[in-house]
Amino acid sequence: MSAIVDFPVKPEARPYLDSALGSAGEPDWLVRHRRRSLARFAEQGFPSRRGEAWRYLDLRPLEQSPLPPAAAGGRVSPAELDGIVFADAAYRLVLVDGWFAPELSTIAPLPAGIWFGSTMAALDARPELVRDALEISAIDGDRSFSALNGALFSDGFVLDVAAGVVLDRPIEIVHFASGAIPSSLHTRSLVALGVESRVRLVESFAGSGRYWRNDAVTLRLDAGAELDRVILIEEAADALHFGDVGAVLGKASRLDGFALLLGGRTVRHEVTVRSAGEGAHCGLYGAFLLADRQEANIVTTVEHLAERGETREIFKGVATGRAHGAFQGRITVRPAAQKADAHMLSRNLLLGAHAAIDTKPELEIFADDVKCSHGAAVGDLDEAALFYLLARGIPHDQARRILVEAFLREAVEIVEPTAVREHLLSRLTRRLAMLEE
Amino acid sequence: MLKIRNLHARLADDGREILKGVDLAVGAGEVHAIMGPNGSGKSTLAAVLAGRDGYEVTCGTVRYFGRDLLAMPADERAREGLFLAFQYPVELPGVNNMYFLRTALNAGRRHRGEPELDAGQFLRAVRAKLKELDIGEDLLQRAVNVGFSGGEKKRNEIFQMAMLEPRLAILDETDSGLDIDALRIVASGVNRQRAPDRAIVMITHYQRLLDYVEPDRVHVLQDGYIVESGDKSLAIELERRGYGPVGDAA
Repeated sequence: MSAIVDFPVKPEARPYLDSALGSAGEPDWLVRHRRRSLARFAEQGFPSRRGEAWRYLDLRPLEQSPLPPAAAGGRVSPAELDGIVFADAAYRLVLVDGWFAPELSTIAPLPAGIWFGSTMAALDARPELVRDALEISAIDGDRSFSALNGALFSDGFVLDVAAGVVLDRPIEIVHFASGAIPSSLHTRSLVALGVESRVRLVESFAGSGRYWRNDAVTLRLDAGAELDRVILIEEAADALHFGDVGAVLGKASRLDGFALLLGGRTVRHEVTVRSAGEGAHCGLYGAFLLADRQEANIVTTVEHLAERGETREIFKGVATGRAHGAFQGRITVRPAAQKADAHMLSRNLLLGAHAAIDTKPELEIFADDVKCSHGAAVGDLDEAALFYLLARGIPHDQARRILVEAFLREAVEIVEPTAVREHLLSRLTRRLAMLEE
Repeated sequence: MLKIRNLHARLADDGREILKGVDLAVGAGEVHAIMGPNGSGKSTLAAVLAGRDGYEVTCGTVRYFGRDLLAMPADERAREGLFLAFQYPVELPGVNNMYFLRTALNAGRRHRGEPELDAGQFLRAVRAKLKELDIGEDLLQRAVNVGFSGGEKKRNEIFQMAMLEPRLAILDETDSGLDIDALRIVASGVNRQRAPDRAIVMITHYQRLLDYVEPDRVHVLQDGYIVESGDKSLAIELERRGYGPVGDAA
């Protein structure tokens, strides 16, 4: 069967045109939205490596063997989630192959003022919220994988927090791939925080087998809202992971995001922030550890639109073997965004002759009263530090391992609260131990 | 224990010769002081003995318990009981002090065929030494040397030495940058380490440290070799007359 369509189609988009667009019984506006999104994807095809935004990743394997959207019903036992899940979560929502898995989730009873559930459930419970988020993100440009996501997303999560509500214990979302059949997983999620509300999110991505995860999240922070979001990417060795986060920050709101990239054949973590309210704070932090032929690309774009905005970015990377890491960070300060205070730092360790790391921090400043800076470094382990360990009798290989771990631990130290930090550190240590073998 | 014969060494990057024929013999239980003006090669001698990269030995031999010290990699020298107290201790962000020290201690114990210490045994051993050196226990939870004052870093070096119980300790300008109280603490830490089966080599620019740690032998290193040796009275004499041009000392 081949779909008959009345719009131009790029060859690599063709295999996705026959996919079912959403589930039965969806509202008309969503059906239209999915069709529009599919047409947009078909016209654009895959992002080109010639463009700046995707130059570091090789999409040919994905072009050559298309991955159809995953069906519901993938089986995962709770035991498979051991270790991956964060033990101290207040609530946990699990998505298996992009579909909500209620039997693995704990999302009730929720305190007053918090709505938390699957995106599909939110279509009934929070229709305007979901519609707004989808239709607004759909107009912002040329993101072909986000367009495909808009057409094909199976589910996701929605967290809607009313003004003034504060939840200290983290809410967890686990994205797990069952690995039954090679497939693509498209998830669409939304976090909307009311005035002066505050929550913490821990999101982890893991699975087995060969799959392509295409995850899109919208974050909306009203005035004075605070969101701490930690993501842990431990995808399967053959998996591709493209995560796309779009955030809008209201007046004096605070977004702090941390991403730890440990697993996956090809990982792209993209964050786009519109710092639209006066005095908003945006903190983007993270680290990657790459081995073998892993590829990772962190892309951040922060746009300051209002006065006294603050941005802090620190990303650290380690590449060994034949791995390739890349950091592209851009901070733009618009003319109205006077007194912006923005710093971006990318520090990287390159271990071995066949690994590579690219780093490209950029500032684009159109206001005259700002404090902005960036720094980037790529190098080997510090010779003086290594000798200090050797001079205490620590064997060479162990000394190197200690310094690599310390370099990444230092990046994770910024994460609060302690329980989340310890969780990330234990996953990091585990990954380092795996690489030893 | 340590026999250095006609040791010549140069910097690997620009080929400049720093050591031009050092001869020195240190026996078990002895404390030696190596003095000399800046740039005489004192720290290079310490670095070459500890096995730091960046130097080429072009001539001469170093025997350590009869073995060829220069043939051993730096980490093996340390496990064989050679300890270097750094002039500038290195900061290791992200490396916890306690973890670092236990790893070092256990590397040596494994090397000697002794059982490794678990966290509890290690902590008990550590507490006693911390007290001796007037170091707070919070040091253990901090990253190695990160945010330490100059004096704390030097005390930490002596603390590590006390924990690792070396056979040969080389103290590279451990007294530099210390106020008088810190100097006293460090010196008493060193004195406590004096033992019949342990040798200590103190490299210093000033005679000050020698007021607190009395050496058996004093050597003057100048322009890359030892121009004069004597007992502790030589240090006092040097303080009075200063380091003259080579040859004037006689």
